[in-house]
Amino acid sequence: MNKILIQLFFLLNFVPSDSISEQVITRQGQVSFFSYTSVENIEAKNNQVLSIIDLSKQEIAISMLMNAFVFKKSLMHEHFNESYIESDLYPKATFKGNFIDFDPNIEGSQTKFVKGTLTIRNISKEIEIKTNIEKIDGKFIITGDFELTVKDFEIKIPPILRPNIAKVISVTFRFEYQPYEE
Amino acid sequence: MAQAQDLLETLEKEYPDTPQYEIATFKSTRIAIGHSIENRKKGVLQIMAMNRWWNVPNHQGQSFVADKWSARLALEYGISDRLSTGFGWTTLEDVYDGFLKYNLIRQRKKSKKSFFSITLFQNASYRSESNGRSAIYGGFEDTSFQDRLAFTSQVLIARKFTPQFSAQISPTFIHRGSSLSDEDPNNHFAVGIGGRYKVGGHVSIVSEYYYVANPIQSVDTFGAFALGVNWELSDLILQFHMTNAWSTVEDVFITQTPNNFNLQDGNFTFGFTATFALHLSQKKP
Repeated sequence: MNKILIQLFFLLNFVPSDSISEQVITRQGQVSFFSYTSVENIEAKNNQVLSIIDLSKQEIAISMLMNAFVFKKSLMHEHFNESYIESDLYPKATFKGNFIDFDPNIEGSQTKFVKGTLTIRNISKEIEIKTNIEKIDGKFIITGDFELTVKDFEIKIPPILRPNIAKVISVTFRFEYQPYEE
Repeated sequence: MAQAQDLLETLEKEYPDTPQYEIATFKSTRIAIGHSIENRKKGVLQIMAMNRWWNVPNHQGQSFVADKWSARLALEYGISDRLSTGFGWTTLEDVYDGFLKYNLIRQRKKSKKSFFSITLFQNASYRSESNGRSAIYGGFEDTSFQDRLAFTSQVLIARKFTPQFSAQISPTFIHRGSSLSDEDPNNHFAVGIGGRYKVGGHVSIVSEYYYVANPIQSVDTFGAFALGVNWELSDLILQFHMTNAWSTVEDVFITQTPNNFNLQDGNFTFGFTATFALHLSQKKP
């Protein structure tokens, strides 16, 4: 009984003080993707990406609406949502992961890996992304790029349009975080 | 002690409460033969070729594939995201037409408000050919400019019920400058119903029917019907349909389709519409 009480005492006093959650958020994160082929270049940008970081746990989450991507051609926006991503059924793409060896106290820039799960069209994939983390006056800016294989997310492309869409899509992102107040 | 919340759940609450609108209730500006609620977006020029082929019973002609062919060539342009205009020329009876189409209400996603999309459609057509090729279209030999005009007004109401299924109801009013016979009304009330079912990302099955409340009296006419497949390929939309409508101009095929829909020669009509979209002004992503 005494042992349990001592354990409880430790839990209540030491663990919480150790994990004071300090969270930062962005509501205007930018994610762009590019598909380069000899037939056609497709480029789209989403300026309304949500992301939050728990600095103490080194956790990051990203969520975005697929229909918020802006394309050069209005019909591309329609096809992307209607024929490929099927955003009526799968409106969001999300990512949840952890930084590896990230020290939030270091001012200036550091390059770290983020490991986590990317979910598009309800299909989850484990990925590792190299990111550049910059801390300027206590504000965090995270940038980076990575590549995605279209086939991994079971996106159906009719044979006749296969030359128009790259097999590997490059993605870039930039998030500027603000302190998060609930 | 409350458990720390999952970060993705936290983000879920951060989404702004901006209305989300349904897109692509139909993919083309036509369901099959009639207009859909869809407009092309700002700066998009659409080049259309609408074709119809049919046979004439006991015809001794030498025409390739089918005895008769009619086509409408048209340009349609998105003035804004909600307003578009178009001009076309139909070979059958040499009809010129122009229209304005305005998207009044957009259906919202997951909302009790604005349950439907509503688009207003107004066209005017002019028949330049004097010698009609059939009893129903003829009789314009000595008529004035006004007599050859016709106007179609439509309130297109549609809802995307599921990602696959959309339906449209189209109350229609048609005014014709003159009619073939005195007993024929110059004003017609009609209603169209149409729907699409998406069978794949790029392919949908469509059907349309127009019912005329007060049809022409002097000649037997039938409601225009179409059953077809729409196939969308990047900037190109191909529409194939079986129909009984020969003309591609609203006032003509809604009120003056002289044949019923069946597979007999002279009735069965094959329709093929090719639409190419050119993005004249492009956004900067």
